[in-house]
This record gives sequence, C-alpha cells and structure tokens, in this order.
Amino acid sequence: MTTELDNTSAVNESTVSGEASISSLGNQTAAPPEKPVKRKRNLAGMPVNFSCLKHIDPDAEVIALSPKTLMATNRFVCEICNKGFQRDQNLQLHRRGHNLPWKLKQRTSKEIRKRVYVCPEPSCVHHDPSRALGDLTGIKKHFCRKHGEKKWKCDQCSKKYAVQSDWKAHLKICGTREYKCDCGTLFSRRDSFITHRAFCDALAVESAKGQAEDEPSKKDEDPKPLLIESAPQSTSTASPPPPPPPASLPPPPPTTTTPAVPVTSSVLCIAKTPDSLQVNIAKKEILVYNACLPADLPEISKSNNDSRPVLENPSQLVAGLTGSSSGSCSSTNTGSTSSSVFASLFASSTASKTLQPQPQPQTTGYKDLIRSMTQPTQTPDLTLPSSAQETISLCLSTNQGSSIFRTAGQELRQYAPPPQPTMSATALLQKAAQMGASASGASLLRGYGLDAGQRDDTDGGASIGLGLGVGYDGRSGLEELMMGTPSVYGPKHTTLDFLGLGMAAGGGTTNGLSALMTSIGGSLDVTAAVSSFGRGGRAGSGEFTGKDMGTQ
Amino acid sequence: MMQFTETLPPPLHQTTKPCQNFATSVNPNQTHRTRPWPGFPAPNKPLGTFGDANCMEQLLVRCANAIETNDATLSQQILWVLNNIAPSDGDSNQRLTCGFLRALIARAAKTGTCKMLTAALSNSNITIQTHKFSIIELASFVDLTPWHRFGFTAANAAILEAVEGYSTVHIIDLSLTHCMQIPTLIDAMAGKLEGPPVVKLTIAGATEDVPPMLDLSYEELGIKLVNFARSRNIILEFTVIPSSSLDGFSSLIEHLKLQTLVHGNETNEALVINCHMMLHYIPEETPTTPFSFEDATPRALFLKQIRSLNPTLVVLADEDADFTSTNLVCRLRSAFNYLWIPYDIVDTFLPKGSKQRQWYEADICWKIENVIAQEGSHRVERLEPRSRWVHRMRNTGFRGVGFGEDMVAEVKGMLDEHAAGWGLKKEEDDLVLTWKGHNVVFATAWVPT
Repeated sequence: MTTELDNTSAVNESTVSGEASISSLGNQTAAPPEKPVKRKRNLAGMPVNFSCLKHIDPDAEVIALSPKTLMATNRFVCEICNKGFQRDQNLQLHRRGHNLPWKLKQRTSKEIRKRVYVCPEPSCVHHDPSRALGDLTGIKKHFCRKHGEKKWKCDQCSKKYAVQSDWKAHLKICGTREYKCDCGTLFSRRDSFITHRAFCDALAVESAKGQAEDEPSKKDEDPKPLLIESAPQSTSTASPPPPPPPASLPPPPPTTTTPAVPVTSSVLCIAKTPDSLQVNIAKKEILVYNACLPADLPEISKSNNDSRPVLENPSQLVAGLTGSSSGSCSSTNTGSTSSSVFASLFASSTASKTLQPQPQPQTTGYKDLIRSMTQPTQTPDLTLPSSAQETISLCLSTNQGSSIFRTAGQELRQYAPPPQPTMSATALLQKAAQMGASASGASLLRGYGLDAGQRDDTDGGASIGLGLGVGYDGRSGLEELMMGTPSVYGPKHTTLDFLGLGMAAGGGTTNGLSALMTSIGGSLDVTAAVSSFGRGGRAGSGEFTGKDMGTQ
Repeated sequence: MMQFTETLPPPLHQTTKPCQNFATSVNPNQTHRTRPWPGFPAPNKPLGTFGDANCMEQLLVRCANAIETNDATLSQQILWVLNNIAPSDGDSNQRLTCGFLRALIARAAKTGTCKMLTAALSNSNITIQTHKFSIIELASFVDLTPWHRFGFTAANAAILEAVEGYSTVHIIDLSLTHCMQIPTLIDAMAGKLEGPPVVKLTIAGATEDVPPMLDLSYEELGIKLVNFARSRNIILEFTVIPSSSLDGFSSLIEHLKLQTLVHGNETNEALVINCHMMLHYIPEETPTTPFSFEDATPRALFLKQIRSLNPTLVVLADEDADFTSTNLVCRLRSAFNYLWIPYDIVDTFLPKGSKQRQWYEADICWKIENVIAQEGSHRVERLEPRSRWVHRMRNTGFRGVGFGEDMVAEVKGMLDEHAAGWGLKKEEDDLVLTWKGHNVVFATAWVPT
C-alpha cells in the first residue's frame, strides 16, 4: 500500500486551488492559467492569500454555504471505520481500500463547470460572489481565520490562532527563527545550527577560553533562540563569579568525600588553571539556565558560587578518565596553546594528540595522577585492586603521543583472534574492578574521588581536583559532587529542545503527490505520467523550478 | 522504479533550443537506416527535439553501444554531437548529459579502439575536480537538501525510540557523510527524559575515497564530536576502525565481535547499526535470476554478520536506484533516469557558477563516471533499489519496524524547510523521499526477528 503524504499544507492548498483554477479555464483560451505552485511558501501562521477566481471565470457556479455546513469537518464519513472526509471523491477513494463499491465522478463536459465559494459572513469582502474563493478548504480557513474564534494559543508567545494548522506551524517556528553561532554564522534551523556548532572551531575555542580572559565567557554554548537570549545573558552578566583569590586554598566541602550518586562511569578531572574550570562552570550555569525553569535560577547561581572555592585549587592538568576503551574527554582542544590539557586514560593506553605540545604539564600531571592513585590506602572505604593500578601505570607509560583512535583499531586488527592479549585497558580495569571492589565496579572509581578529597585535605596545595561524573562530563560531575545537587541536570534537560520538532505539520495528508503531479505534468493520470513520461514530468517541471523552489 | 523509455513519448515541453549543428552534420534518419541497433528500437520520428532529455538519453545509449562494439566512427560522431548539444554550463538536462558524455569519453579512452577520438575531445575539460570539503563546508553542504537530511532525520527518530531505557548506546555509523548525522543525534539524546546515556560511536575509516571528501582526519573529527558531546553533557567514546567496504567492512565486524567477546553481553547496552548510503559500496552484481538472493553475495554476507551481532536496531537509508547491472547500457539508462534528480534539484536553489554548485555537480559527475567508465572493483557506485534491500534484509532474519506517526511528522517537518518539490511516501514499513514524485532515497528500520 502506498500512502501519499503531502509536503506542506500550503502546497496542498495551492495545488488544489491551482488545479481548480486550471480546470475552470479549460475552455477559455484567453486568460493565462496562473501557475499553481508559483507562490512562495507562506510564513507559518500567516493566512494564505487565496486567489479570487470569479473575475477569471464568470461562469463558475457560486456556492454559498452556511457557517454550520462550512465548518462541518469531514462530512463524508466511511461507514466501516468512521473516518471522515471533506470530499466525496476522497471518501470514494478511501472506500476502495475497504473493498467496498466505490464510484468516482467522471468529469463530463457539463461538470467542468467550476465551483467557487463565498464567505457566509455578510460584511466580508468574500461574501460578494465576485470575490469568491476557489476551493472549499480555502473558504473554510478564511472563515475561521477572519471570523472565527481564535482558540489555539501558543504557550510561548501567547499568539492565538483560529486554524489549528496555523497554530501548529507557528509552534514549530516560535522562538526559533534564528540561531547564531559564535563564529557569526546565522541559522534558521536548529538541526543546521547543531551540526555546524558541533564542528565549528568556535565551540572548541569556547571550551578552551577562559585562561586568557579573566572574565568568564558570556557566550552560551547551548543552542538557543535569539528571542530568549537575553534571559541567560543578563543573568550571567548580572552575577559574574568574583575572581578567585589565588593564594587561598580553602578545604573542599565535606560533600566531596561522600558521593551520593550512583556511579556508572567516572571522569577524573584535574584542572590546570582555576580560570579554565571556572569558565566551564560559568558556561554550565548558562546551560542550566537554559535547561531550567526560571524558578530554578537562583538556586543554580548559588550552587555556582558554592562551587568556586573548590575550583580555586591550582591544578596542573586536566585529565579525563573515562570508563571505557578509547574514550576521549578532550574538552580542551588543539587550538589552545597553554590551556589545560585533557589526557584520556583507559583509552587503549594512549593519549590524544593534543597532549603533544605540552610534555611538561603532561608529565607532572601524570605524576600527580599516579601519586593520587598510588595512595589508595588513604581512603578508608576503598581497597584499590592492585591489578588496576598496574593497568593504569601501564597506560601512562605507553601513551606517548600516539593517537587514540587509530591505535584502537590497529591493535585490534593486529591481534585479532585471541581475545586475551587484545583485552583493552578498559576490559582489564573492569575485570579488576569486579574482583577488587566491594560493592560495585564503580566504587573503584569512586575511590579516586575520595582520594582526591583526602589529598586536598592533607597537603593543601595539592594540584589536583578530582571529579566524578555520572554519565556527564568532568565538570558537571565535579560540580555535582561538590554541591550535592545531582539532580539539577537530570530530567530538566528535556526542556533544552525548544523547537518541538516532533510537532506534526499542519494540513491534510491526502492530496500530496497526486496534486503535485497534476500540477506538474498537467495530466491527471499520475501513473501514466510517471511510467511513460519518465522525464516528461521532469521536462514539464520547467515551470516548477526556480521561483517556487527557491525558498532555500 | 526505473523507467526505460523504449519509444519517445511526445515531449511535454520543448525545453531547450534545437541545435543546428546536429541537423547539419548528421542525419539521424540516415544513421538509423544504415545502422539498426539491436535491442533498441529506433524512434519512429527523427530526433527532433535535441534538447529533450529523452533524445539525449537515446544518443547516450547509442554512443555507449558504439563504444561497446568498438565502432570508433559512430561513437566519435555521437560524442561530437553530444558535445555540441550538452554544454557543461547548460540547463540541468544538458549538464546531466554532459556528465555522461564525459564518462563515456573516459570509458572510450580506456577501451582502446576509440582512443583516437578522445584526443579530439581532449580540449574539453573532462577531468572531474571533486572538492575536498572542510568540515564546516560539508556541514552546510549536506544541509542544503533533504538528500541526506531525510535519512538523518528518519534514522535519528528511529534510533531515539529504539534506545529508550538503555544506559549505554553503541552506534556503528556507516555513513557516507562523515558523521554529519551524529551531532543532531547527540543533541536529541541529550534532551531525552531519563537523562542522557553514554554513547559509544564506532565508525569505519574508509580506505577508499568517495565523494564527498573531507579534508579532516577522523581523529580530529572525533575530537570535535567528543567535545560537542561534552557540551551536551553526554560522554562520547569515539572509535575509528580502518575498514573497507570492498570486503564488507570485515575488520569492523571483527572488531565488534571481539568486543562482544571481551565484554560479554554488556548489560543495558543498545547496539545500533546506522547504514547511511554506505552499503551500496559493498560489491554486488545483479543477481542472475531475479529473486535468487544467494547467501554468498558480499552484501548478504555482510548483513548476516550484522545479524549475528544481534543489534537493537539497524537503520538502512540509501538511494533508491539500480546501478548493479553488468550491462553498460542498462546502467547508463538507470543512472540517467536517476541522476537527473540531483541536477534538477540543484537548479532550484544554487545559482549557476556558485562554488557550492560546482562541488555539488562535480560529485554527481564523479558518480556518473564511476558507474559508466569504471569496471570491476573500481566501480563502487552500485546502488540497489529499496525492494531488493528489503528482500535481502528479510532473508537475513530482520523484521521491518517501520516509522511511527510522530517520526513521519518529524520528517515531514524537515521537508517543510526545503523546496516544495520534495515529498514523502510511505511504502510498507518504509519511508521514501521523493522529488517531484520520483523516488530518491529510502529509509528502513529493522530489528532481528
């Protein structure tokens, strides 16, 4: 079975009305037929400007329907499934699917006579037969829009619509007219923006920025409609975190040592500079603003302030420690020369190329890291399995500068058959965790966090900040851990999707292709048009191109 | 479905100006009388409308026949005619024909006996300059039409629904577009209700270059993606497995099998295999008998391997045409009756001479050249129609899951953002993207039975 789904409701309308207008002009050679698809797509929510046909075809039959009849949707009802149709022809086509007897009206020469519809509202210009509209759907929507109750309201901008399809179309674009990337490029579609954003250097610069600047970045890295841009921006500028006192090293809050959240995967985060982390947090704050209802804002900014003392610990390196093979958490990027560096552990025993320019911090970072890992006994509630230690050490010692990604594959290719030697660091670690950890495999990693807390306590000037992530990145993990506000990001993330892309397109769903083909080829026999004039339809599409397609 | 026009239908439109050169140089009637071409009934009337696509197709078919039969004189004549009626900067039909003309010249230059004539035409620029895209260029390039976005949107919607409730999602992205689908997928996952999962992304580092080509290494691409995922609070693990479509991505499959060996049945990990316009690069010829899909063909083998991984979901989106025939003329007709679409599309939104348009058309030209002029393992553009893929998937033990109403609505919403010529069809469980009613790309979603 083939179901035709039309492209846009606007097109549907236009093609239908176009068809009607052409057929009415069948025996009138003088007036040029108006091209049905010439019109550009309407902006959503804008009433379609239906052509008044009466002046073209004086012989058309003028139909005046009462408001009640006019608004009776789907008058032709299928007796089997109760589906309603606006036209008898459509019902007949539908009946065919039930194997019921059906009959399509044949166009006889007498029936060529065009029908036009007038608006039932006496004060309306379209009440006059000379300004009648060319199709039933058109007059229906006109009546609704101009003389009906606007019962469809947009929750975002309070705009009201009388026609549901207008409302739906508006919902899809409300507040989403433009997205702007930091590189200056503007996008009208969210998908386009997202794809661009992911690959644009601006994002990388964004995450690396902060070291050079004292001020936390005000830019939002989350996609947002410009319309609501003012909200997060003003908030972030209104309450910028004060510059951290570099000398003071307050002890981390006690929450550090008791991670309350279940750990599924952990990220070990060692910040090189206080600024970089701080900026990240600032961005996180904005992100959260976007994700949360306004009521949540004070709470979040508070949590941001609370988190700062922890972040002020001067650190040497940012090391991302992800719980599986070849994971890379390089939030910092190649573009930054002296910014914090992410080293990815467990990543088939390699670190990413970004490490190469900075051997010095790398080694110190590793030293710290190793130190932190070789002091597991400081943590009371964790026994770090020795095998895991070995694995990690191994990783660190064999990582020089090779690429994560290739190596993973090549290794596996080289040692394809036997599973044991190719067992990745992840796998080993997991095994180790299973063997050694008391409660769950995750407690191994949790131990790192505890360890970090202890170290910060003991030697004060320790250069490591450790964070645990729960399916999040290091920063959020850290934040959560310190603040004990693990629920901030959870379910509310759904509100990140401002677009409502899942929103159904308005309009009918029946006329699509056939109407299209009709308008293209001028032939009612779609099958014939497709099969025998393979390119006939295409050649005929000369009039179809350009103007009407040019909505890009 | 392909249309083979055996006779010239009455042209609906006289699209282009007739070419005087043709009429003065070659009398088509005479040509027809002296050289009846077996298998191809001659048109009943002279080739009157030279700009017509059907006429161009006839000429190309004759030219291909002449080249195949080593008829240097005739092929030279037709090539010359084609060269005159199909300028590379003409309308979309002329550009299309020009692409085929170049491909035929390239083929003639290889076959030997026709070598002479290529010298005559060597002044015309027949080398195809495919563009190496920067990642940003590629992002906006892919974004121009629903050609790829259709598959992206449908697949993302299907994936999102299938991985509901999993804490880890492993996506094998076999895509022609260098992960262009991934950002939107990550973004959609980040917005999911129960919190974003950990995403593992494994891609095949293709060893052979097919357009669109990227000037960025996959390592750097991975860094960008991981970075982006972080900004969405998603942990992304990115892996590239050097793997070739020529051997059915065997090293990738090996890798995946090994992973399941090592990790065992990872609890709560969804395995999604996303095939976007990539599987048709696995070698395959037209099956000898229409419906014998033998298990031994590379594509069937590949699907079998995929099936053995017991994936949560397989999404297959590809171009809906048949380029697998061993017969050059069949392929030429097939390609001509499909590849007019991208030329027609580009006419609607990119000005002639624009950079993007040049890139766009060069990539189509590359495709034409590959289908027409290459043979053996070099001929990698081997599209198959939806029906054949569906049949093959079912034979391998997959069941189509279809696309729900909300997914269809999402795809429709995406199409609304593009030109009015685009349409959407639902055929059985599958979605088909159409351009002016002609099938362009299909999207199917599968689960193991």
